[in-house]
Amino acid sequence: MKFFNLFRKELKEMLSAQTILVMIVSVVALVFAGRAMNEAVSEGTEGMMDITIYDADNTDFTQAVLKSLEDTLSAEEYDGKVIKVEFESDDYAAELKRLDIKSAVIIPKGFTQQVEDGKTADVEFVQKMTSLARMSNISTGSDNAVYFLSSAVKSTIYADKVMEGTMTTEEVALLENPITLKESTVVANKTEDIASSIVLSLCSAQTMIVPIIMFVLIMFSSQMILNAIATEKVDKTLETLLSAPVSRLSVISAKMLAAGVVAALQAVVYMFGMQEMMSGLTEGAENADSYQAALSNLGLTMSAGQYVLVGIQMFLSILIALSISLILGALAKDAKSAQTLIMPITLSAMIPYLLSMMLDLKTMSPVLRYIVYAIPFTHTFMASENAMFRNTTLYWGGVIYQVIFLAVCMTFALRIFMSDKIFTISIGGKKTAKTEKEKSLFGR
Amino acid sequence: MDNNSAEKVLEVKGLSKQYKKGVYASEKVTFDVNKGEIFALIGPNGAGKTTTIRMISTLLQATEGDAVVAGHSILTEPEKVRKNITYLPDEAGAYKNMTGKAYLKFMAELYADTKAEVDEYVQRGCEICELGERLNYKIATYSRGMQRKLLLARAIMSKPALAILDEPTSGLDIINALEIRRMIKKLASEGMSFLLSSHNMLEIEYVSDRVGIIAKGHLLETGKPSELLEKYGTKNLEEVFERVVTDNEIL
Repeated sequence: MKFFNLFRKELKEMLSAQTILVMIVSVVALVFAGRAMNEAVSEGTEGMMDITIYDADNTDFTQAVLKSLEDTLSAEEYDGKVIKVEFESDDYAAELKRLDIKSAVIIPKGFTQQVEDGKTADVEFVQKMTSLARMSNISTGSDNAVYFLSSAVKSTIYADKVMEGTMTTEEVALLENPITLKESTVVANKTEDIASSIVLSLCSAQTMIVPIIMFVLIMFSSQMILNAIATEKVDKTLETLLSAPVSRLSVISAKMLAAGVVAALQAVVYMFGMQEMMSGLTEGAENADSYQAALSNLGLTMSAGQYVLVGIQMFLSILIALSISLILGALAKDAKSAQTLIMPITLSAMIPYLLSMMLDLKTMSPVLRYIVYAIPFTHTFMASENAMFRNTTLYWGGVIYQVIFLAVCMTFALRIFMSDKIFTISIGGKKTAKTEKEKSLFGR
Repeated sequence: MDNNSAEKVLEVKGLSKQYKKGVYASEKVTFDVNKGEIFALIGPNGAGKTTTIRMISTLLQATEGDAVVAGHSILTEPEKVRKNITYLPDEAGAYKNMTGKAYLKFMAELYADTKAEVDEYVQRGCEICELGERLNYKIATYSRGMQRKLLLARAIMSKPALAILDEPTSGLDIINALEIRRMIKKLASEGMSFLLSSHNMLEIEYVSDRVGIIAKGHLLETGKPSELLEKYGTKNLEEVFERVVTDNEIL
């Protein structure tokens, strides 16, 4: 019985209304994130086995290969199809845009001749990138193209010989690898001879650094200011400070500036550390220089100006996080509630952080997209991608939204700090104010 | 000293704080504090002492009335008021990662206009709190009594026109409480004015020149402790308080 009393008391303390609310919000947020990812995965895997092909060689042999390919893909286990397209020029970027397709396998002129000459035949695969998010680049196109075209070539050319057992040693060697794949990547209107998977992996250095730093900064600066305000309120040092001959605006500004400086210092340290880590990973890698040149030509390396643009959004996000933390800190009853109150910021940062790493947010359904865009931190997580892919409207739209959001939060925070509310409100039913009221009513 | 002819450091005129329509934390509170006087607001927990003090300290906005500190209105010149007061909240803490001396310096810099003034305040603060070498230790290592002494030193080192101390000896042991009471009396004799609040009426009887009895947000009686004892024919302020609230049908 005594144990049960103790247990009940501990449980009541730990399972407060705040904790339950946070759990509910977390579940809703995670379900939302899951739905968004599911939508992207479904979209990405839909038609995954389809192969879009431009047959530039257009011989009886290539038509036979395509027929064999169609037969293979239409089998129940693959459920795919061959989509034939016609290119009008060698400008792959323009052709993908004109045909409104993301990728294509190109059977070049001379393909048949190479096969007939007993040489490894070339096949090209071109893919357009619109985002650096992982799931937006789900594509098995190149692998499928090589696998199925190889099968088609083998069955068209060598099937009889294999059955008859009349293959030469050279033909046996060729049978293992009858096709060589040349991959190209298109970004905006530029094309480079580099596989999109390599582009994605090389760019991950850039695309990972900003979100990770951003996430750490938001959490770190929010925690600092929230704890600072909550501790000052609980210890009543805030009362001492606000009764001194110094304006309340100075007190708030000093706190925010200090948190901003420490956050910026953290940003520099993390940025340096991450860059060193990433350069350590790629240093001395084969073809490193040519890869870098290809990335640069595709516009996927960040210029100083683009770093500034990303920096502006990082700064805005930090200020937003600080202003929200000011409000939440003012609401905190004690250090414990301050720890719980950080959760909305954690979730607001975590959802766009995860989604932007995995998905191309621009391709989400309008409802989900605008919900995610409504989270102010989203725009900073998209900043480096928007800068690299020249999504100017999205970038500046994000900046304007963040400025408006910041103005609203700051106004709200200042209204709390400049009024009695800083001493009278707290989360969970204005308990401080109620206490004052109760005090005035004692004895009644 | 004649109360009417004395120089007034604080004039509270009909000060009210209403949180919700009809619910007053303090209502039409009127009193004054003279130069060099120790005035104490006494009453039980929740009587409206802290709300009144917070309004005078410019932390809360008054719903009605006004208070004038050293000639400056809390409504129209709050920054000038803050220049003339110091406020020590009940159960206040200090920045635990600072040393005692660093804390005094930090606070002195908020009140002083020159470097010389900062040095003067810090030196006085160090003398008042009598913490000696411990001033170079972090506040986190201080006992409750040491911390309270440091905070009191902070509140009076700048020699404000009015020092507002909410429950100045709450939670202190007898020795520390006595020291603080003596310190307040000594500084008042040197011309500093004090507005105290306490529910410890025996302490107030010893330390204050005049008292105001407050209950349920209403200031019911003011006067010198000796006058009140005589007026109500009681032995101590606790009995005076009981009589006052009973007469006013408050309890």
